[in-house]
Amino acid sequence: MPLNRKRAIIVGDGAAGTILANKLRFHSDPSEIEIVVFGKSENHYFKPDGVQIPFGFKDYRNSVKPTQSLFNYGIQFIKSGIKEFDLDNSTVKCEKDNTFRYDYLIIATGDRFSTEDLPGYEKAASHFYSLEASLDLKRKLSAFRGGKIVIGQASIPIQCPPAPYEFTFQLIQYLKLRGIRDKTEIHYVYPLNRVFTIPNVSDFVEKLMEEQGVIIHKMFNVDSLDPAGKKVNSLEGETLDYDLLILVPPHSGQKVITESGLADQSGYISVDRHHLNYKDYDNVFAIGDATDLPISKAGATAHFQSEYLANRIANEVNGNAFFDSYNGEVACTTITSGTQAITLFFSYDKPPRANFQSKSDYFLKWTSSDTYFSAMLRGIM
Amino acid sequence: MEEIKPTRVIDARGSFCPGPLMEMIKAYKQGKVGDVISIYSTDTGTKKDAPEWIKKSGNELIGVYDRKGYFEIVMRKTK
Repeated sequence: MPLNRKRAIIVGDGAAGTILANKLRFHSDPSEIEIVVFGKSENHYFKPDGVQIPFGFKDYRNSVKPTQSLFNYGIQFIKSGIKEFDLDNSTVKCEKDNTFRYDYLIIATGDRFSTEDLPGYEKAASHFYSLEASLDLKRKLSAFRGGKIVIGQASIPIQCPPAPYEFTFQLIQYLKLRGIRDKTEIHYVYPLNRVFTIPNVSDFVEKLMEEQGVIIHKMFNVDSLDPAGKKVNSLEGETLDYDLLILVPPHSGQKVITESGLADQSGYISVDRHHLNYKDYDNVFAIGDATDLPISKAGATAHFQSEYLANRIANEVNGNAFFDSYNGEVACTTITSGTQAITLFFSYDKPPRANFQSKSDYFLKWTSSDTYFSAMLRGIM
Repeated sequence: MEEIKPTRVIDARGSFCPGPLMEMIKAYKQGKVGDVISIYSTDTGTKKDAPEWIKKSGNELIGVYDRKGYFEIVMRKTK
């Protein structure tokens, strides 16, 4: 074992932390760099399946794997969170009070649902952004016999920005299969003056929604909820009543990130757009949903960032030159009907184009949990 | 004409849509009636989106000004 063996500490065991750990292990020699991952989860859930599980279109058991089992050989997983970051001395302290030195620190702590930002949320709303919530919503949908459904998001940013419209198209399919589409009004609310952040994708999706009879409410920033009266109020002065409210909860960064002074109240860490460094620290990075980068908070983002960062660290450790950079690449496949989907490719400079939907893209989406667990998460692709 | 002094200035230059608009809405929620909120932005989408939001929300758009390399949108919170 070389005396100058490096140590990379990855904080977070979600998509970003796991993909990065596995890719870095592939790219580097265990005798030259040790990889330690800190995280607290028992299971790793493939979140994109949340747009299908509530309808019974997918069996949730295929969307979950034990976290520990997902790390490749040669990675140490410590089941603990980190409570203190000392960047000037290159150490972190875990929740068990042990201090660890690092040569590279990668913060991949993701984000959280800050439902405290919207009083009444827990009583009023359902969502599909966690497995528990998706299964709860599945029970509510099974009992639904028709009425008014309001779908939307409580704030921006959220994980997987296309998910609310994907869910809407799957809901339409579900209601048709159950024979209650004509007994159901679907209202779609969105904070901007469109139905998605990116204008050309929004135009495409809006047209599909209109064809399917979805009633759209633009510039509807959710301000308050009235669980007893079953009403949702917007900041702009609009009120909608509902029988079922499906609202993506407000998001924010992790509390420990704000408390450690690594970010402001939002909890999202500012990093260099092209190199993912935190401030002037050459050996500290943040990736995935934990950052405030102006791109989608999605597994696909974490995947591209991990590819860049694993290569960079491995090359540095190996003493090789490395001139690449991360340019905001993201690719994701999103459902647009019961049988079709579109695939969007982004970068910082090139917004995605939404030109056509296809059954092959739907198939890609359908099989994505298999691809994710067997290859993407493993660092193979 | 006398220039109106903002109660709060948000510098969102370099941030992409919908970041600047969301920053403006956040400031609006935190502010009080009568506050003048000014936002600097380089995102061209915001130049269209922010005035539309101000109008829809029933607040007052004081002006949209071209500055050197960016633009400024100024609103007054009226409700």
